Amino acid sequence: MDYAYYPGCSLTGSARRLDKGVRTIFRLLGHTLRDIPDWNCCGAFEYGDRKELTRLSGENLRKAKGLAPEVIAPCPACSKNLKEANEDGGFRVYNPLDLFSKDFLSGLTMKRDLKGRVFTPYYGCVLLRPAETAIPNTSVMEDFVTSLGGDVTGEKVKDRCCGGNRFFINKWATEKLSRLILEKSKGPILVSCPLCHMALTTFSRNEKIVYFTDLILYAAGEEGAL
Amino acid sequence: MNEEQYRTIFELTGYGREDFSVCLGCKICASVCTVNDLSLSVNPQDILLALFLGQEIAGDHALVRYCTSCYRCSNACPWGIRIPEVIRALKESLGLESPFERAFKGSVRIWGRVYEPYIFMKAGVFLLKEGYLKYMPKWTEYVSFHLPRRVRRLSSPGGLSDSKGRP
Repeated sequence: MDYAYYPGCSLTGSARRLDKGVRTIFRLLGHTLRDIPDWNCCGAFEYGDRKELTRLSGENLRKAKGLAPEVIAPCPACSKNLKEANEDGGFRVYNPLDLFSKDFLSGLTMKRDLKGRVFTPYYGCVLLRPAETAIPNTSVMEDFVTSLGGDVTGEKVKDRCCGGNRFFINKWATEKLSRLILEKSKGPILVSCPLCHMALTTFSRNEKIVYFTDLILYAAGEEGAL
Repeated sequence: MNEEQYRTIFELTGYGREDFSVCLGCKICASVCTVNDLSLSVNPQDILLALFLGQEIAGDHALVRYCTSCYRCSNACPWGIRIPEVIRALKESLGLESPFERAFKGSVRIWGRVYEPYIFMKAGVFLLKEGYLKYMPKWTEYVSFHLPRRVRRLSSPGGLSDSKGRP
C-alpha cells in the first residue's frame, strides 16, 4: 500500500534514527512511503497564532495531493498539527503509533522474543493529548512488548511530561520533569517522540532510551537495531 | 497589557472573551498542571479569568515562563479549553519568546524548515551561557551536518513565497 510520508524537520536531523526505523518497518511490511515533495515545517509548538499553524500544516497537505490519501507523520508534534489542519477530512493522517497494532505488524516475522526483559513504555504528551488528535490505542507499545513475552512497567509515568518543550528555554525545568520519569523507569524506556528521546537521554544516568521502532526492528531480527 | 494586546490574544487563539466566562473555577487544570510538578504553585484558571476580566497578566507569571504545552489541562477541563495555546498567544503578543523560539521562527522564515545548525548558531550565546555544552557527549547521535534545503513554495505570511522571493 502507498502512503504519503511527511518526515518533518527533526527527522532529517537529530531524529534520523526514528526516520530510518519508520522507513524500514514500512518497507519490510511491503508498503511504499512516498515523501511529500517540498514539504515545509509543520509549525511544531512555536506558533501562538492558530491560523498560522493551520496554514503551515495545511500547505503540506496541499503538497501531498495526488500522492496517497493516507499520510504518515512520525513526529508527534507534526502528526498533531497535520491532523488538525486536515479540516475537510480530505486525508487520513496517521502517526505510526496509530497504526502499529498487532494486525498491522503481523506482516513482520518476529525472530526474537522479549522473554525475561522489562521495558518502560513512555508516550509523553502529544501522542495522548489533545483527545481529538490522540492515538486510539494508548497501550500500543505495552501490547507489543507483552505479545513477545516481555514485561512492562511505568504505568504511572507513561503520560507525564518530560518537559522537552522547555529544553532549550529553561533546562532546569526539563531536567526536573525528565528525572521524575527516569527515576520511575525500569529497563529501557520506549519512546516515539524526538523531543522526549533527547530530553530523557540528556538527563539519564544509566537509563537507556530507545525508539519503539528500534524495538520492533530488533524483534524482527534486524541487526544493530537496539 | 493594553486593549490591543488583549485583542491580539483572542485573535491568535480564535477564542472570544465569552469563551472564558464558562470557566467554573473547578481548578482541575491546576490539579493536573505539569508546572506544579516544578513546585511552582500555578493555577491556569487565573489566566483565563484575567483575560475575561481584562486584568493584567505579568510577563514573568510562572505559567507563561514554564508551560510545557503538555495539554493535561485541556484534557481535564470540562470545556476542553486549550490553555497552552492561550499561553503561547500571550507570549507572542507580549513579545516574550525565548532566543530559541525566535531562532526557530527565523529558520522557518528563511528556509521554510527548521535547520538545526542555524538554531544552534542563532541561540549560541544563550546556549553557551546556560551551560548546554556539557551535554555534548550525550548528543553524538543527534549531531550531524547537512546543508539546509530551501522550501520552494510556502505562502504563509512571514514565510517564504516562491524560489525568487516573490509573494
